[in-house]
Amino acid sequence: MKILVLNCGSSSVKYKLFNLETNEILGSGIVEKIGMKGSCLKHMRADGQKILLEGEVLEHQTAIEYILGVLTSKRHGALKSLEEIDAVGHRVVHGGEKFNKSVLITDEVIRKIEECIDIAPLHNPPNLSGIHAIEELLPSVPQVAVFDTAFHQTMPEHAYMYAIPYSLYTKYGIRRYGFHGTSHRYVSKRACDFLGLDYQQTKIITVHLGNGASATAVKNGKSIDTSMGLTPLEGLMMGTRSGDVDLGIATFLMEKEMIGPSVLSTLFNKHSGMLGVSGISSDMRDIKAAIEKGNERARLALEMYEYRIIKYIGAYAAALNGVDLLVFTGGVGENQASTRTNVCNNLNYLGVKIDEKINIATKGKEALISTPDSSIKVAVIPTDEEFMIASDTYEIVKGL
Amino acid sequence: MHEIIVEPIEKYGLSKRSRRRTLFSKIGIVGCGYEGSAIATIAILNGIEVVFLEPTDEKNANAFSRIEQKLDKKIENWGLTENEKKIVLSRVQGTKNYKDFSDCDFVIEAVRYDDQTGERHVKERKEVFLQLEKVLSPQAIIASNVSTVIITELASELRYKERCVGLHFLSNIPESNIIEIVRGLYTSDETYNKVCQFARLINHQYVAVAESAGLVSIRLFLIELNEACEILMEGISTVEDIDRVLTVGFGHRLGVFRMADQMGIEKIVNLMENLFNEYGNSKYKPSPILLRLYRAKHFGVKRGKGFYEYDKEGNIIKQGGEKA
Repeated sequence: MKILVLNCGSSSVKYKLFNLETNEILGSGIVEKIGMKGSCLKHMRADGQKILLEGEVLEHQTAIEYILGVLTSKRHGALKSLEEIDAVGHRVVHGGEKFNKSVLITDEVIRKIEECIDIAPLHNPPNLSGIHAIEELLPSVPQVAVFDTAFHQTMPEHAYMYAIPYSLYTKYGIRRYGFHGTSHRYVSKRACDFLGLDYQQTKIITVHLGNGASATAVKNGKSIDTSMGLTPLEGLMMGTRSGDVDLGIATFLMEKEMIGPSVLSTLFNKHSGMLGVSGISSDMRDIKAAIEKGNERARLALEMYEYRIIKYIGAYAAALNGVDLLVFTGGVGENQASTRTNVCNNLNYLGVKIDEKINIATKGKEALISTPDSSIKVAVIPTDEEFMIASDTYEIVKGL
Repeated sequence: MHEIIVEPIEKYGLSKRSRRRTLFSKIGIVGCGYEGSAIATIAILNGIEVVFLEPTDEKNANAFSRIEQKLDKKIENWGLTENEKKIVLSRVQGTKNYKDFSDCDFVIEAVRYDDQTGERHVKERKEVFLQLEKVLSPQAIIASNVSTVIITELASELRYKERCVGLHFLSNIPESNIIEIVRGLYTSDETYNKVCQFARLINHQYVAVAESAGLVSIRLFLIELNEACEILMEGISTVEDIDRVLTVGFGHRLGVFRMADQMGIEKIVNLMENLFNEYGNSKYKPSPILLRLYRAKHFGVKRGKGFYEYDKEGNIIKQGGEKA
């Protein structure tokens, strides 16, 4: 079965075409800068050849037309015709309380996703335009929505509620939803398979450290708490996002700097985090290079970053009343051994011991980095959200 | 490792049909002074491409740097990142030639006020409308940034009069996301509806206002300013205290005198005379204080002096320069 996975952002569309029977990736890429100057499509063929297609792409619909055009082209394509696509899986950021698992897209589902626009104004509209584009271009192909928030719908009430007037929950649905759900679900499950543990009987903390960062407590296969909240701003420190802050800062700044809600949002979402503290970059490689040159603020930024992770692991160890397995994933989690070392060295009280040799040797691949006598297993599992979306799509579509 | 293959994207389209540009993907602005550049900045920040017209290279460069300054100010105030600025700036370009408007579906005339007299010359604006009609498709909308009765007159000389509409941005008030949309006698429903759509695209609220001198915003503001001048002349209160009542008490972002300095006293005096001529009511007669500032060329922020005194960045350095 051939499944196309689409991830529509505000000005980009990422795609990956899977053949799930042979476990092959038939092609992948991204359309960037949609609606702006310099828009382009970067495609990678199954043989690894990279292709850059330049030209005007004004809207998501056009972007998706070009993606389908490339995938079916004689020169770079992998398909003879569009009929070969059996299903399309979409990443949808916010499913609110309406979706606790992936679903086949129907008019009813679209209406519900539209209802979630209020709480995800940046993310859900482009997701929807991707769905509409496929509806028009491949009208007979089934589509599946896979939600970032769905995995966390198992959180208990006491974990997802904020201690603010309850009426705000009933009126606007203000509560913790959590994100990166597809990633946390995949790596927690995959780690158990990899280590031969029973997913339904294991207490797991997953730490996803990528562009955004979040930690999740998974108990017996269910998310019971996660660090991101109503929006992906809460929790760990990130590239340009502040993570947890005292809300008093916001009201203080509104008064002192005479700024309104949209500016505040940019301040905490785009000017903060690693970039804001270091003043250098949101990219971990730049931060590390600066630290080597003796830059103090870069060092501080990284220390804060790691400290937050340590705090959250402590909190979730308590929430789970014990931990069996700790999983690192995401760009930094998979590649940056020093961060894993610094975090794990602060978990002695939990009996964590890692094999430094294996840890240093582990980059972007699955590995058990704890020692045999460590009381908690520590694993690195590269995340694969696209694959997860494809396999969810497969599970739903095969029964049709 | 293979070399990257670079090709044009067009041949990978699914259908050969020509791609229709979305409405308002590119707009034009004639005159990129204070107000024109404010409108341009709003548009490019909302993803719309803008081409603006200024008569000389020097004025083009000035206009461009005005827009850049506005974006820098936004960065300074945490509203934008450096990277976003690059993307946003790539959407705007200047021109000296009306022909460069030919693929715009919407052009706004924002010919600036004369910086000596505070007037906007009707003859010049008519000429702009005629030039625009020559290069634009009949469906393209021609708008004028207005606060007086003019749009019907400007439209009257065109062949496709129904495409003309007036807009009023409150460009002197930061983050005032509202537009007054002014229907002239000729304006068609289609034109009006499209302009409403434009307002939504740039994340502005809008109100429909009949063609009238001062519309809603300017008319209310001028009366408030005149009354504030009366209070000042009667020795009841001071410039800064009156402004404080308005900002702290009524929650206005700027006090009425601070606002007047921002707008420019020369513009205000002209607008008031326009309203007085139109309505014939003496409440619109500019207060003697305004006339005194006008004659002394104390036009406000950009001259460094008005009701307050200002440094080069436009920050108040001296309170209450003007006394009754």
